[in-house]
Amino acid sequence: MKKAYVDRNLIAGSIIIAFIIFLAVFQPWLNKLIIGGHNPMTASFFGRYEPPSLKHLLGTDYVCRDVLALLLLGLKSSLLVGVVAGTLSTLMGIIVGFIAGYKGGIVDSILIGTTDTFLVIPSFPILLTLSAYVKKLDVFSMGVILMIFSWPFSARVIRSRVMSFKNAGYIELAKLNNMSDLEIIFLEILPNIVPFLGVGFGQSVVASMLAATGLEVIGLGLSGVITLGTMINNAIGTGALSMGQWNIVFPPIIVLMMVFIGVQLINMGLESTFNPRLRR
Amino acid sequence: MTILLEAKDITKIFPLDKGRKLKAVDKVSFSFSKENAKILSLVGESGSGKTTIARMILGLLPPTEGNVYFLGEDIYLMNEREKKEYRRHVQAVFQDPYGIYNPFYRVDRALELPIKKFKLGSSKSEARDMIERALEAVGLRPRDVMGKYPHQLSGGERQRIMLARLYLLKPQLIVADEPISMIDAALRALFLNILLDFKNNYGISCLFITHDLSSAYYLGGEVIVLYKGKAVEKGEVAEVLRNPRHPYTNLLIKALLPTDPSKKILTSLGAEIGLKDDNSMAGEGCPFAGRCPKASDICNKEVPLPVKINENHEVRCFH
Amino acid sequence: MEIVRIEDLKIYYKLIDGVAKAVDGVSIKVYPNEILGIAGESGSGKTTMVNGLVRLVKPPAYIAGGSITVNYGENGIPKEVNLLRISENEMRNLRWSFISYIPQASMNSLNPLLRVKDQMMDVIRERSNKSKEEALTLLPELLKRVNLSPQVLDMYPHELSGGMKQRTIIAMALALSPKIVIADEPTTALDVVSQLSVLSTLYDVCRKSKTSLVLITHDMAVHAQLTDRVAIMYAGKIVEVGRTADVFKSPIHPYTKGLIASIPTIENGGKRLEGISGIAPSPKNWPTGCRFHPRCPKATDKCRGAEPSMVEYEEGHFVACFHPEVKK
Repeated sequence: MKKAYVDRNLIAGSIIIAFIIFLAVFQPWLNKLIIGGHNPMTASFFGRYEPPSLKHLLGTDYVCRDVLALLLLGLKSSLLVGVVAGTLSTLMGIIVGFIAGYKGGIVDSILIGTTDTFLVIPSFPILLTLSAYVKKLDVFSMGVILMIFSWPFSARVIRSRVMSFKNAGYIELAKLNNMSDLEIIFLEILPNIVPFLGVGFGQSVVASMLAATGLEVIGLGLSGVITLGTMINNAIGTGALSMGQWNIVFPPIIVLMMVFIGVQLINMGLESTFNPRLRR
Repeated sequence: MTILLEAKDITKIFPLDKGRKLKAVDKVSFSFSKENAKILSLVGESGSGKTTIARMILGLLPPTEGNVYFLGEDIYLMNEREKKEYRRHVQAVFQDPYGIYNPFYRVDRALELPIKKFKLGSSKSEARDMIERALEAVGLRPRDVMGKYPHQLSGGERQRIMLARLYLLKPQLIVADEPISMIDAALRALFLNILLDFKNNYGISCLFITHDLSSAYYLGGEVIVLYKGKAVEKGEVAEVLRNPRHPYTNLLIKALLPTDPSKKILTSLGAEIGLKDDNSMAGEGCPFAGRCPKASDICNKEVPLPVKINENHEVRCFH
Repeated sequence: MEIVRIEDLKIYYKLIDGVAKAVDGVSIKVYPNEILGIAGESGSGKTTMVNGLVRLVKPPAYIAGGSITVNYGENGIPKEVNLLRISENEMRNLRWSFISYIPQASMNSLNPLLRVKDQMMDVIRERSNKSKEEALTLLPELLKRVNLSPQVLDMYPHELSGGMKQRTIIAMALALSPKIVIADEPTTALDVVSQLSVLSTLYDVCRKSKTSLVLITHDMAVHAQLTDRVAIMYAGKIVEVGRTADVFKSPIHPYTKGLIASIPTIENGGKRLEGISGIAPSPKNWPTGCRFHPRCPKATDKCRGAEPSMVEYEEGHFVACFHPEVKK
């Protein structure tokens, strides 16, 4: 049994991400706490731009909505988009990467050609076009659109990892121990790849969230749903920035940063755990 | 006499880019008997095809032509049961004592796996006893190495654990691919002695692959001298060294540095050896023709056939 | 009058779980026009020591004590300087022109994108005042010294064999006629025949230009063939030093004896090799007293308690041992 070893970064990152997930999962209940369970997106005229107070911890925005409640809802949506895109992207990357890496030969050539084609296409203009064109943009379709351009990255990384492990000395030794191909893939190669899978997934989620936010900040986002990106867009559009309403502008940015940093810390921690040489 | 393992005219051709091909190994043959354990050394420089031969013998690389037989069966056509038997009795130790360990696991696993896979022990405590005894047999203290990760041990310790693994398995044939080139002088002597003990006390044969003629000489037995994938001379090692017939073998012997400071060969030999640098691939004809001081026209056109010098000694050369 | 005098040099590595005393009090001299061998197995500290000699000690390694005095005067007028005290600029002036270094696996450090002549030019022009034309005319001569044809100048490193690359590196190291060259395992990755050509090249070139050579290798046969004097290192210290012929004919330290006895040679006639029992100790935890005692067949309590100091047994032949086997 492996001796328990947990890296500091892993702990820090996990705490941050656990907190974020907690916020997203318990959003309905937290919503109850903050504004009594109403839809945070209901606009009204009373109480515009109120500064932070006990009633509204982060104040209100240009249509009197409680910013904190909005933030939690927005976080949930952004996270959902990121997770959907990240999962689809990683799955695609694993399938393509593993097959290309282990099989090699013609199979690999075909797959890598496809992957490279996607890598070369300029993604942002196409994302812009797609999201402007698709009328009803819901979470799932947004996820799919984002996935189209992020799967090649994880596919390439996984493929090169599999290829490098395929030729390792211990793989030959495993064959001499009469291990079957399946045993080799699961017992010898996979444990060394899991950290990369985890890392890849985290990166995909974050990258998708950031790409989505990029689109939302310029107005091309999900319709009818508030996300961290649309909050920033609103803040800029309604002049909150120039009015010095930090309570409206900064929270979504900070939350995004927290997700980013949390994921990076977890990645670093995972790498330390699985690569004993890096352990402090 | 039963033939344990036979390599018959094995050849390996690798395709390169632009339609060219590399003939890494060209019709090499040798065999080991089940009753009489022996050590056979394959001596050659890098690029001579020795590692490729090792991999073909170990079932890791099918030959392009020729066959490898274990107890009469072609190892690349075996069924599961036969293959298991084959793996049980033909094992290896490699050159690089680091890459051979999966960094994810502790080194114990390298010794536990063979016990599990080949059913060498019936209980966990029995397995642990066997492992401890094997470690002690190669000069390691079990508490110094068990439970550690590969990066926590030195190259010498890691290579010794590989020897302990062989001690556990006691296969009938060990393929050793440059096993001592990456470890220290003192451990090399120990390693060679262990291989000799394996032969003398347990009847384990060894295919010893090296670039160093003096280790081959120390181990005794037979030797095959390889150049660019072809066997240019073969025979009983003492005989070949005493009476080398191929110019390449001659070159290898002369290049050995004696450890006696009063016998200085460097100054006199530099020019004599006529060291022409030769990077070309083997073409038609004798592979050594490009560097051979005795080369003539026929050497470039035809491959020499083996000529028997005597009972234990064969050479392929026109001169 | 020696050209290099190392006194009580200590180079340690600061690690997370302690200090590794890689070089722990080494004193040795290098004389003009001699070939000095440093022998010892991996972990003995040889590479660390020469890194110190050319001042390439980088963190986590640090100089923990001692001095390296270098005499770069000419015509009998000594001009000494402690390499550990001078500035990096001054040191850079000395490198390549006074003291040259061929590190391990240096044949792999040739820039694969540059032709040989461009790389050699870089070295020459950076360290001397020669113009491009002057430097260019020097190159064929330099290559000739190492037995390479001028055609090599226009080739790329990947077109050369291992031995040819190594000889190119030697040519570069000797380009500015340094007084002392340090070569760390110059032939390890090479096959027997290339090894021979590289070593004889090294020998010829150093002798002809009267350059001193410090040769580090664990291969005792190389020392036997090439060196005038040899120093045996174990566990960060020198345990025996003397004229090569003396050390090989009558090795006094049990470790030296063990080293020489572990080499399989054709002359031995197949006698059983002895080897050295036990495992090399770790620099984080050297054994007390004489560091070889856990593996020494002659160890006694005295050896566990105190460290022996160097004693001269015959002219120039020093050994640090409490139970030396001196043949008469």
